[in-house]
Amino acid sequence: MAARVCRYSTKPSLSPRLTNLRLISTPPPPEPATHFKITLRRSAISLGEKKKGTLAALGLYRRNQTVFHPHKPDIAGKILAVKELLEVQNVPAAEVRDKYEQRMGRKAPKGYEVVGSRMGGIDGI
Amino acid sequence: MFGAFRASHVNQGGLLWKTPWKLSVTRKANARARLKKVDAVIEAVRASGVQCGALERALELPKEHEMLAKDKYTVFSPHIVGYRKGIHKVPKWTRLTHRTNPKGF
Repeated sequence: MAARVCRYSTKPSLSPRLTNLRLISTPPPPEPATHFKITLRRSAISLGEKKKGTLAALGLYRRNQTVFHPHKPDIAGKILAVKELLEVQNVPAAEVRDKYEQRMGRKAPKGYEVVGSRMGGIDGI
Repeated sequence: MFGAFRASHVNQGGLLWKTPWKLSVTRKANARARLKKVDAVIEAVRASGVQCGALERALELPKEHEMLAKDKYTVFSPHIVGYRKGIHKVPKWTRLTHRTNPKGF
């Protein structure tokens, strides 16, 4: 009697095409968060000069304003001193925006794109 | 006592602002939402991995879901019978943290 041999392998080998597809479809690992994204949600009016000064030190001077600061103990202490007024998220360095970039991000797209100019502008012929 | 010329607080003194004795259901829900937002800020700072004294002190505060209703909606007061008053009697109470009681209360 011939012994029956089981030819199952626990790891099915994928075709190269499928491996490639899997490589493309898997998202890259998320970048580590390095900054606090701090938004002032409540005003510090009549909460005393110390809290107002803390907000000024964080660079916050109006409600719903957003600033970015690196993960450092002094920043964390300032956030916790006015924790009732803020909304805080941890973001990677790639998501840090200064005031101008935030403004550009809020703007509506123009709806057109300049591809050239007869007067010999950007890439004019 | 009754009628158009009756003595009331308003026509005797002028302004009368009444503060309700306890919070309404909606105000309590808003208070809980604010507590959760503060919890989220503390959690975000903890998740950043920064270590500082302010964070250690903030982590000692009870979270919203750990707090008793008594601590969420009332606050210690030495002048009141029973030593508790509605938290909404505290000026600026929506922007302050009152989560713990004095020792023994």
